[in-house]
Amino acid sequence: MTRYGMVIDLKRCYGCYSCVMACKQANRTPPGVFWSRVLRGEMGVYPNSVRQALPVLCNQCAEPDCMKVCPTGATYQTDEGIVRVDKNKCIGCKYCMMACPYGARYSVPEYKSYFPEGLPVSDYEKHCMQVWEEKRGCGVATKCDFCIDRRAEGREPACNQACPAKARVFGDLDDPESEVSYLIKTKRGFVLRPEVGTEPKVYYLPPR
Amino acid sequence: MAATITSKVQEDVWIPTCCGQCYCMCGIRVHRQNGVVTEIEGNPEAPTGRGKICVKGLAGTHLLYDPYRVNYPLKRTNPQKGLGVDPKFVRITWEEALDTIVKKLEACKEKDSRGAYFQATTTAASEIRYAVTAFNKAFGTPNYWVSGGGLHCGNGAHFMNGIMHVSWSIIPDFAHCNLPLNFGCSKGHGAGHTAVQNAIQAADARARGARTITFDPMQSPQASKAHEWVPIRVGTDGALALGFVNVFLNELGVWDDEYLKYKTNAPYLIRPSDGRYMRDKATNKPQVWDLVDKCPRVHNDPLVTRVQYEDQAHDVALLGTYEVDGVKCRPAFELLKEHVKKYSPEYVEEVTWIPAATIRRLGKEIAECAEIGATVTIQTEQGPKKIPKRPIAAHFFRGSQGHVNSGWTCLSIDMINHILGAADTYGAAMGLGAEVTDGYKPTGKPYQIPYPDEDGLLVAKAWVYDHVPYPLRVPKQPTRLDLHDMFPTSIYNAFTITSPHWFEILDQFKINYRPDVMINFGSNSVMTMGNAEIVTENFLKKFNFIFSFQLYVSEFEEAVADIVLPDACYLERYTPAVSFPSTFSHPQGEDDWGWTIRQPAIEPMYERRDFNVVLMEICKRLGILPKYFKALNDMTVMRYGGPFSPENKLCEDGSVEHTWPDVVDRLLKDRFGPEHGLEYVRKKGVFTWPKRKEDVYWKWFNPSRVPVYFEYFIDAGEQISKLCEQYDPQKKYIDLNWSVFKALADWYPCPTHSKEKPEYDMNAFYWRPVTQTNSMTQQNPYLDEITSEDPNIYGIQMHQKTAEEKGIKDGDYVWLENTDGKRVKGWVSLSEGMEPHHVAIAAIGGHWGEYMPIAKGKGTFFNDLVMMDAAHTDPLTLGQDICVRVKIYKA
Amino acid sequence: MGSVKLEGQVQVEWRWLIAAYLFLAGVGGGAYLVGVIADLSGGPDWMAVSKIGVFLGLPCVLIGTLFLLADLGRPTNAWRVWMKPGTSWISRGTIIIVLFMIFAAIQTALWIWPFAGPLADNESARHLIGVLGAVFAFPTVVYTGLLLGYSQPIALWNTALLPVLFFVSAVSTGIMAIMLIGRSQGVEGTQLALLTVIDAVILVFEMFVLIVFLYNAYRTVESRFSAKRILAGAVAPAFWLGVIACGLAIPFFLELFGGEGIVASLAALLGLFGGLCLRYSVLAGGTLSPIMAGGYEFARVARPKDPMPAMGKLPPS
Ligand SMILES: Nc1nc2c(c(=O)[nH]1)N[C@H]1C(S)=C(S)[C@@H](COP(=O)(O)OP(=O)(O)OC[C@H]3O[C@@H](n4cnc5c(=O)[nH]c(N)nc54)[C@H](O)[C@@H]3O)O[C@H]1N2
Ligand SMILES: Nc1nc2c(c(=O)[nH]1)N[C@H]1C(S)=C(S)[C@@H](COP(=O)(O)OP(=O)(O)OC[C@H]3O[C@@H](n4cnc5c(=O)[nH]c(N)nc54)[C@H](O)[C@@H]3O)O[C@H]1N2
Ligand code: SF4
Ligand code: SF4
Ligand code: SF4
Ligand code: SF4
Ligand code: SF4
Ligand SMILES: [Mo]
Repeated sequence: MTRYGMVIDLKRCYGCYSCVMACKQANRTPPGVFWSRVLRGEMGVYPNSVRQALPVLCNQCAEPDCMKVCPTGATYQTDEGIVRVDKNKCIGCKYCMMACPYGARYSVPEYKSYFPEGLPVSDYEKHCMQVWEEKRGCGVATKCDFCIDRRAEGREPACNQACPAKARVFGDLDDPESEVSYLIKTKRGFVLRPEVGTEPKVYYLPPR
Repeated sequence: MAATITSKVQEDVWIPTCCGQCYCMCGIRVHRQNGVVTEIEGNPEAPTGRGKICVKGLAGTHLLYDPYRVNYPLKRTNPQKGLGVDPKFVRITWEEALDTIVKKLEACKEKDSRGAYFQATTTAASEIRYAVTAFNKAFGTPNYWVSGGGLHCGNGAHFMNGIMHVSWSIIPDFAHCNLPLNFGCSKGHGAGHTAVQNAIQAADARARGARTITFDPMQSPQASKAHEWVPIRVGTDGALALGFVNVFLNELGVWDDEYLKYKTNAPYLIRPSDGRYMRDKATNKPQVWDLVDKCPRVHNDPLVTRVQYEDQAHDVALLGTYEVDGVKCRPAFELLKEHVKKYSPEYVEEVTWIPAATIRRLGKEIAECAEIGATVTIQTEQGPKKIPKRPIAAHFFRGSQGHVNSGWTCLSIDMINHILGAADTYGAAMGLGAEVTDGYKPTGKPYQIPYPDEDGLLVAKAWVYDHVPYPLRVPKQPTRLDLHDMFPTSIYNAFTITSPHWFEILDQFKINYRPDVMINFGSNSVMTMGNAEIVTENFLKKFNFIFSFQLYVSEFEEAVADIVLPDACYLERYTPAVSFPSTFSHPQGEDDWGWTIRQPAIEPMYERRDFNVVLMEICKRLGILPKYFKALNDMTVMRYGGPFSPENKLCEDGSVEHTWPDVVDRLLKDRFGPEHGLEYVRKKGVFTWPKRKEDVYWKWFNPSRVPVYFEYFIDAGEQISKLCEQYDPQKKYIDLNWSVFKALADWYPCPTHSKEKPEYDMNAFYWRPVTQTNSMTQQNPYLDEITSEDPNIYGIQMHQKTAEEKGIKDGDYVWLENTDGKRVKGWVSLSEGMEPHHVAIAAIGGHWGEYMPIAKGKGTFFNDLVMMDAAHTDPLTLGQDICVRVKIYKA
Repeated sequence: MGSVKLEGQVQVEWRWLIAAYLFLAGVGGGAYLVGVIADLSGGPDWMAVSKIGVFLGLPCVLIGTLFLLADLGRPTNAWRVWMKPGTSWISRGTIIIVLFMIFAAIQTALWIWPFAGPLADNESARHLIGVLGAVFAFPTVVYTGLLLGYSQPIALWNTALLPVLFFVSAVSTGIMAIMLIGRSQGVEGTQLALLTVIDAVILVFEMFVLIVFLYNAYRTVESRFSAKRILAGAVAPAFWLGVIACGLAIPFFLELFGGEGIVASLAALLGLFGGLCLRYSVLAGGTLSPIMAGGYEFARVARPKDPMPAMGKLPPS
């Protein structure tokens, strides 16, 4: 069976935010919504301190807490292991947002313009709002879905396609021959917060 | 996404074109659906990025549709100008705007056409030079500049890289370099030239296991990715580099003998009397000492020349004393070796604050890593050839060059490469997109093959600006308003034009015309040059009339523009020349050659008009269109290799009025063959062709040498200072230390390093985040939002403990005050990743303009701290010192 | 670890509306429990108290539920919580609440209002229904703590103390609500005095639980930022003024030294407000703990709020 996952190589990643912007653009997400996000960390004491960026997105957990707490079944898993939200079932209780250990879910009450209120909304933003309403919706929980629709069109996940450092690899974890499987095995792949037991499918390779 | 709304979609196209959010000009594809631009992504066919683009490029849609864009011509109705003055702009028609402009230009021409002054932004510098230079020629003015550009990023770096690599900049051969040494630049980590392609290459290098060492006062993105971050005091990179050279030459006794002997002027014999070359009486050529035949020989005598690595030649002397024509001479190399002795690790520690032990350790590591003597065999058109492999590369840019020691600092850093033979060869420091190519095969254009001059030194065939790196222009009695003609080693300078005595200087130097009309393309010089008040009062307000092609009403337009013309942005216009010559945006390393082309993804909206078209219209109304076409025809020689073929030439007698797309079409067909005109571009947006290995690693295929001994600087310095003395004997206006014009690299301190006023105990400098380009992109709400995710960008970075000692907490608002009492405000972001005596400010933030509300108030406006006098000017290149000593206290 | 300025990602989704819901569920459930206990053990003197307590249950919880509904992004879909009963604390909670409200409604209707009906005389039936109601009133009060506690990443909430804290606060605010209404509804001075003393004791206990709760939160790395946020950060005003001053300290002293009368009412009013602030502080203090990876700590980092873009000036058109 296909079980999609991603590997992010922290050694390659230089924290450039291309993945963040690519996701925003590809999914027409409103202000404040970052399905793809870059966090920043620092370690050690001067002059031996080090800084590192950590790109995060929904881990498409095998045992997702977000799904467990969902009272309506709006959050569900596809056959390929992708965790999605059915906007028609979601009541917008936001409980899933409290439960996701990775802060990967977002909900906005309305699609605000990126520009100050009261201005005419541009054609581009009108388009974004329309796509958002059609596919995601306001008031409901939204999240990364590994770019399901793009992939249906034969395109890569937007964040992967954009990454200049080629730090992101997308593929089938169940296929032992796949690049993701190979990288996880040979390059000390790890997941975030393994202790919460959600079994993430986004793996990281160590920065050094 | 088309999946669900396809039913409604009638138009769904991808247009290949070229990004314009910074000067790197990456190839992009723009998605247009039903007349709306909905997505931008990288163009996989463009070697500059191969489908990858940066966060700014991805965010371009908001630039196109920003409601704050200027959409109609505007006229200032408030005659008063200055910072904080409400311009009271009103909308006017294009007819009125052009009418006014043409009248002003006609009046200017009547008085003295040189009163017209073209100012442009660096962001579009290479693309606009085609049209702008032609306009200036046609109109008859020599006055042109790119505001902050040369001052902050270019004067030192580009000039010196031109001398040493015939290139605008240098970059490691990431694909094979094992030890990139990064002196104050982010190449491969966000900013810099060809940013995205370099980022790809740098990431590949990391994955391959290359070690990187970064010298930077801040733990910049490049320092964060490096294996070793070495915090350095601002403005001291030159001393550090010479320290390394000293360790190589005098402590370790390591240098690349072959390289220095046959590819540099290190063996040239120098006469002791005046430090000049010992020239051959008959040919006047510099000489070297043939160790086999024990006699002097001219530098290019076949017996002592090795063009290719496998060539055989007599050994020549690098050390020793030799008698030629009765004069005891020594090779330049020996002088250099002795000269750098004063840069002992102990002295360098005092200057740079880097421990002597670290300098020795790194020096050893660098020397070992250079693998002197190693070779590889590459496939060339003439079969397999052996070339040296030198997998180290010292590279640098804005951070290390922005100081009063700019020129020499650049040369000193590059000297590391040349001592170790690590220049333009496998794994080494490479000219960035060096146009060392015999061109695009079907047409033979564009191309440039560097060649040696009579003295054997490297000459660039084509150069974008008129600070030709070598041989130098002869300094002339100035005609330009910034006295540029007198200073052959600089692109621009600020200290003359922003001086409170500008006009007196002009009088003094017998320049009998005055600034009259300024034509501004984009530049927000009020914010980008230096202290806003000084720039506005001393410089910009001296113009009688200013009109500006712009996307926004920036602080510049608000303060001084009389008319603002709504330009079409990069997604709305044609340009043939965005990525050539290879100043900012050429594919690096072994990747293919490529030239990205700009075409509109969408017709200009509202009343926006492509400035190229408007410029032509102005020329037409001024009656100078034929001259303009002639100038375009002429320019191609210098800019793109070789003159126009007759059938593609623009008509110079005025009998045909070419449209702008027509001009583009002709240039493209001429450069790339008849089948590669606009039609081709509309489909592809990019030209590529394979690069030959010998074009990449050209050093050992080219007969030229580079200087390690800058003999000709001595002459230049004498000529310049003589000219200055002639006009300004009291050194009232131009008081620069000409003694820095000498043959050997040296480091001298910045005003920042002075020990006076010890309460100014912090050093402030600026840097570029990947999310912002200079002063423009802060208005982009996507980028603003993402920038806010990183506290180190809008915040002033400062070391934790230093802040603690000063009672400053994370997030506190503080003042930074320079020794002149000028101050700027911002909030601090504390971190361990800062040298404790420095504060770092990102991008050009702190906007105050009312017409860019997203940008307004974000970040800190560093440049109010910058001083623009002679004391802060590098005598060698007239680059501006942009590190500032400040004190910091809570606001 | 030389790391600086670490701050978790603050949860901003559940704020005042949910706080009001948690609070009203607490007051309603708490008052109801007190009412039933008074009825079971107090005798005729306590009838008034008991009636008020039981009466308060339904409207408080009902209004609370309306707040919950108001917080939903898609209230029109609300019925869907019934589609997956028992899978989530939200569905479980709704079931509990609805069952509670049914019993409370029966009691109210048959005993208190609109007519002093059959249950007034049939004590054992009344007690039976009371106990059944209480069986659901208790989880109504406690589940709000479990609801939050199920959220793994917000370590502040993810503790067994939270249901305890919410329970104690519910009982205390329940008593306060009874006292507030009781004075005008003819509750005798003796009962009021006793309630006051009981409440004062509960307040001390609540204080104790709160201290332990926050101390634990501070001690745990994952929730330290939450604790800081409550004690000294953005939530501090609501916490110190609302919870500590209004909710605990002032009512306690007023109850001890102020006696009955208007002062006691004031104490109750403040105490109720404090109960609301407690829910709010706990919610607003909730932050996702920083993520560790490769030895680094990652989090969204604090920064001063940059000015919201003002309208500025549009270029004339
Ligand atoms: N504090 C500080 N000062 C600096 C720097 C820094 O990093 N920090 N950097 C320095 C350096 S190296 C440089 S090169 C200079 C750069 O200084 P500038 O050349 O002034 O560049 P920008 O700040 O990018 O300003 C670009 C302007 O051009 C306009 N523009 C962009 N695209 C177009 C277009 O297509 N058409 C038209 N008509 N206008 C356009 C934008 O609206 C913007 O106002 O600044 C220097 N000054
Ligand atoms: N994202 C982005 N890309 C850009 C631009 C942009 O604005 N944004 N602008 C373009 C332009 S115009 C230019 S000129 C280039 C510039 O590209 P870079 O040269 O890479 O520019 P910076 O980031 O300003 O400077 C590099 C580093 O120098 C450090 N530094 C400052 N002072 C010193 C010093 O005295 N010594 C040493 N060793 N380090 C020092 C800073 O901390 C910073 O990390 O980028 C171009 N590309
Ligand atoms: S917000 Fe929607 S998806 Fe999330 S838990 Fe509630 S119903 Fe489920
Ligand atoms: S990361 Fe969060 S939202 Fe994504 S599946 Fe896991 S728990 Fe759910
Ligand atoms: S996979 Fe798609 S939806 Fe998910 S973070 Fe990447 S771009 Fe966004
Ligand atoms: S695009 Fe790639 S390199 Fe840039 S932040 Fe994202 S993962 Fe890192
Ligand atoms: S590096 Fe410059 S040209 Fe390339 S995508 Fe980014 S902003 Fe555009
Ligand atoms: Mo620049």
